[in-house]
Amino acid sequence: MHEFGIALEILKTCREAAAEFRGARISKVRIAVGELTAIEPDLLDSAWEAAIADQPEEGSKLEIEFRPAHQFCPECQAEKPRSEGSWMRLCPDCGMPLMIDGGDELDVLQLEILKEDEDE
Amino acid sequence: MSETRVLEIRRKALEANEAVARRLREGWENTLVLNLISSPGSGKTTLLEATVSRLREEYRIAVLEGDVETERDADRIRALGVPAHQILTGGACHLEAKLVEKNYREADFGDLDILFIENVGNLICPTSYDLGEDFKVALLSTAEGEDKPFKYPAIFSKAEVSIITKADLLPHLPFDVEAVREQISTLNPSGRILLTSTLSGEGIDQWCDLLREKLGDKRARSA
Ligand SMILES: Nc1nc2c(ncn2[C@@H]2O[C@H](COP(=O)(O)OP(=O)(O)O)[C@@H](O)[C@H]2O)c(=O)[nH]1
Ligand SMILES: [Mg+2]
Ligand SMILES: [Zn+2]
Repeated sequence: MHEFGIALEILKTCREAAAEFRGARISKVRIAVGELTAIEPDLLDSAWEAAIADQPEEGSKLEIEFRPAHQFCPECQAEKPRSEGSWMRLCPDCGMPLMIDGGDELDVLQLEILKEDEDE
Repeated sequence: MSETRVLEIRRKALEANEAVARRLREGWENTLVLNLISSPGSGKTTLLEATVSRLREEYRIAVLEGDVETERDADRIRALGVPAHQILTGGACHLEAKLVEKNYREADFGDLDILFIENVGNLICPTSYDLGEDFKVALLSTAEGEDKPFKYPAIFSKAEVSIITKADLLPHLPFDVEAVREQISTLNPSGRILLTSTLSGEGIDQWCDLLREKLGDKRARSA
């Protein structure tokens, strides 16, 4: 279970990014998690809840965009659709070994902050 | 009055770890560094014992041992006259670059040709953490399920070298090596796959040759 550590890293990244907006509260965080990252989105979601408990970010939402890996054929120069969780070794059209692209994303994409302002 | 703002960030979630890994990699310009990852008991330490026994006269080798809480695995390497340093992980399920950096400094191995990092026995959690290695090595023993690569696609797609260990047990087990090879090369078309046994010695020469080749390539690149 390494999702908690990853949730803490995401929280740190968010705080750094929001630091220049004094008095702002983080309300939503959007991240991308690839299929080949060994990270379970559901576990990460629970880990996020645990990481922000009793923190200023408590109540903020973690929005996880799941990014599947793609398989493409170097011969056909085309992506070959696969069903989720299953893999093809060879191109169904020409028989060449397929390559894998993407699925290793683990990125903080976007932050929504709430400014309860009087001090601008 | 409150106002909502949207900030576009686009940063790697593990950027802090990756920054340390980059620093380590720069320092290891002349050292081949491997990050060994497997489930507990797949044979990481045993393979390292066989490897250092063969290569200790040829190369300056050291091992950073993250596998278990005790000094047992590090002792097994030291018994062969090769320096080893036990990383105290405090029960963590994976190694991180910062911990590797701290322990590498403490260990003070001096100039090395090859550094092995034996990760915590776990096929999932270590996958996301770059330790500054040249490449990851995933080990899978014939005593484990033959559906493992597709069950754990992340590590097998990332590891440049995959090793199927305990080949000597094949006659006793329903383990289809070809099917496992197929799975691994589906996930990693350019990856290398070895079949080894520390008992019979099968595949150990190829493994040592691969290390020689990778070290040679690295030195040629940095020269
Ligand atoms: N039959 C057989 N047993 C092995 C082989 N390699 C390791 N083992 C055994 O598997 C067990 C776990 O090995 P170890 O190297 O400690 O695994 P680690 O947890 O991955 O470091 C030990 O009892 C080893 O003796 C092998 O090639 N053949
Ligand atoms: Mg071990
Ligand atoms: Zn094709």
